[in-house]
Amino acid sequence: MPISRRSIVKGLGWLGAGIVVTAGGAYGVSRHLALPYRGAPTRADASAWLRLTPEGLIEIVMPRAELGQGITVSFRQLVAEETGFPLDRVQAIQPRTDLLSPARATVGSDSVKDFAPLLASAAAALAIVLKHAGVVDGKAPPAGFAALATNPRLIDAAAFQEAKPVWLMRDHQRLIGKSPPTDGIHAVVTGTAPLYADDVRLPGMAFGAVLRPTRLGAVLTSVDDTKARTLPGYLGLHHDGGRALIAAESRGGLEAALASLIVRWSGGLPDDADVLAAVDVDSGLSNGALEHVPRNGRFAPGEAFDLDLRLDLPMVAHACMEPRTAVALFSEGRRLEVWTGTQDVTFVRAVLAQELGLPRDHVTVIGCRVGGGFGGKTLCTAELEAALLARAFGRPVKVQWTRLDEFREAFHRPPSSHRIKARLAADGTLEAWHHAFRSGHVMFTSAAMGPALQFATSFVGDPGVLRGAIPPYAAAHLRVEFEDVRLPVHTGPCRGLGAGPNIWAIETAVDQLARLRKEDPIAFRERILAGRWPRLARALDRVAAVADWRGLRSTEERGYGVACGVYKEMSYAAVIAEVTRERGQMRVTKLWCAHDCGLMLNPGQVKAQVEGNLVWGIGMALSEALSLANGNVAQTSFADYAVPRFSDVPEMIIELIDGGDAPTGAGETAIVAAAPAITNAIATMTGRPVLQLPWRADEPA
Amino acid sequence: MRFELNGKAAKVPATLAGDRLLWVLRDHFLLNGPKYGCGVGVCGACTVHVDGLAERACLLTAADVAGRSVMTLEGLGSGPGGGLHPVQQAWIEAAVPQCGYCQNGQIMAAAALLNANASAPAAEITAAMDGVICRCGTQPRIAAAISLAQQMLRKPA
Repeated sequence: MPISRRSIVKGLGWLGAGIVVTAGGAYGVSRHLALPYRGAPTRADASAWLRLTPEGLIEIVMPRAELGQGITVSFRQLVAEETGFPLDRVQAIQPRTDLLSPARATVGSDSVKDFAPLLASAAAALAIVLKHAGVVDGKAPPAGFAALATNPRLIDAAAFQEAKPVWLMRDHQRLIGKSPPTDGIHAVVTGTAPLYADDVRLPGMAFGAVLRPTRLGAVLTSVDDTKARTLPGYLGLHHDGGRALIAAESRGGLEAALASLIVRWSGGLPDDADVLAAVDVDSGLSNGALEHVPRNGRFAPGEAFDLDLRLDLPMVAHACMEPRTAVALFSEGRRLEVWTGTQDVTFVRAVLAQELGLPRDHVTVIGCRVGGGFGGKTLCTAELEAALLARAFGRPVKVQWTRLDEFREAFHRPPSSHRIKARLAADGTLEAWHHAFRSGHVMFTSAAMGPALQFATSFVGDPGVLRGAIPPYAAAHLRVEFEDVRLPVHTGPCRGLGAGPNIWAIETAVDQLARLRKEDPIAFRERILAGRWPRLARALDRVAAVADWRGLRSTEERGYGVACGVYKEMSYAAVIAEVTRERGQMRVTKLWCAHDCGLMLNPGQVKAQVEGNLVWGIGMALSEALSLANGNVAQTSFADYAVPRFSDVPEMIIELIDGGDAPTGAGETAIVAAAPAITNAIATMTGRPVLQLPWRADEPA
Repeated sequence: MRFELNGKAAKVPATLAGDRLLWVLRDHFLLNGPKYGCGVGVCGACTVHVDGLAERACLLTAADVAGRSVMTLEGLGSGPGGGLHPVQQAWIEAAVPQCGYCQNGQIMAAAALLNANASAPAAEITAAMDGVICRCGTQPRIAAAISLAQQMLRKPA
């Protein structure tokens, strides 16, 4: 029964915790992993997030990783606000497993929404403890601080009970709502302090790599390292299960050794492997209803619709600038320390402990600043490779993936294919909406799930695939159905998860409906919202105002398009794009965005997230696609996988709305509206909707 | 093999002379500035200055810079004025970095350009900056920071 299987999944914490374990493919590293349960954080967890140092500083042990979203400075602002400490006397260290209880991965744009309230309570409780100890305005009595600093139960239940956080009281805010410089910015612009995993250097450290197959999923049959053994600094070959790894004393030596190996593989993906055909929505629909039907409106066979669009999106890459990198150190043979830029220290530790047969408390994962995550750094990959080599060769080892590894061995946003049919009533309201889609997996992928759990979850439907697919618009008859298709390539969560593709499809269809009715696309959207999602309607109003929407006129050479979306039912964005035709290509020449994530701890960092999302929208709309060729990902570098560059990014006018609502998240909201606003602008120039991403000059009519 | 690194005489052991300059800077000289991003000269994260010009440290060997002057992000602010280079100051003022990993390349590319011509026109800025990829989407702030740095460089403090 589906119910019992749902309860299995829920019992594992996958649904209850908002699904925090993620992604992957055929790494073979964690087939039978017992996942650490990670529900919502508790007060007990939060009391360990704050410590005092003997120097009289407050130190936050970050429960969320710094990926460039500015969460570190935002949490420091919050703690300083609650305790009355100056901002520079509140410091932060990145997540590490020896100082945190098992923590949820830094995913889902929910650090502020789900963690800030608890952190504020803990900080307010700490303020009470400090007040009782005679510490006022961050100034301690000379002798008092050392004793407080060594108290492991500094923040007790009574203090929590008494605490009255002030951060949401807008009249009292001193630091909330300001935009002080982000943590580490000086080190970023000068290079004078270590930040990333590649900046970790240990005495005697060697460098390692995994041999990679020419075809995904191929099995290693033989390795001949005769020649490598003549090279200076070559440390040797290590086999672990089906994988082979090598190490050398320098990176130059490692590259030379890799180039000298004679490696044979067998099997793997065939030449004609194709992920787009695998997710073809129409072949799925030809067998009747799709597997999961979250909105079950019914339509008669052959029922007429005003609109019937088939929309397709490719697989895309996270393409973080920092490749996966980890340093592993064994001491006394049984204690393992790993430095890594990861979104999930807890999961990495669990995998390392299991794969190496170590008790979890013998493994410490020390989070470094993450050089871009976007959902991609949620598995245990380079960390395990470094640890296996460190154990094999008895010295610390650094493993850094190559860019080729990143394109071929990392997981990607799955491709998806959509069919949307819709019909308007005579009065122009939305009478019928039918959205069917098939996609590769986003959350329920094979890396962290053994076959039994894959079986259990297959009855639930992958919530990452579903994200964003329920339209915000009021439809009298609504049907949404989907299938998550197991693909032969690695797929998983990528900025926005399913909401990027799903809302692109929805907003393309809605725009086409407005075009069919010859109605203004903003007025049309607001009308069919029919009073639902008032904050989304407000975002549309605001973006129309800042762009002077009524004054914009599309021509064949310059088009203006609009789109909007709700992310995780918590954040809202509306985007207007100006696109200009230049020598047969389309260039985004201006973007306007209205964005509402409620109260902003640090508006400057919220704005930065919006900017980043808009840039991602440009890439999603115009250039980014992964394909398969010869049994592997065809793209091997940034030369053939085009992310937006400096001159692809236009002027942006961003309106941050603070309408007095509670804080939510900004990390993946604007992307849902950016890509469709751009393609809708193209549609105003060509007169027909863009049905495939990325847009191509030769798209069939 | 000898060369100048951030204004000081430096020596590379013969065994490393054939290695990528990037590895030698990071692993032998323990510098954090230049980053590995792609290894094929496409992303610009490893950018350094060689005799004042922006070059890809992943495409050069250590031997290629024998007798030449190499400057990394660490050395950028060590000029006569000390402190931060105007481009670095502008980067902080405009709050450019998100994850920060590519910013070495962004700053070194911008600094090479503006050191040569503080009034570099837009087309030159585009040509210089299109070579350095940022995935976080900091391009709008990079543009703002370059304008700011140009103002600082044009009117000497």
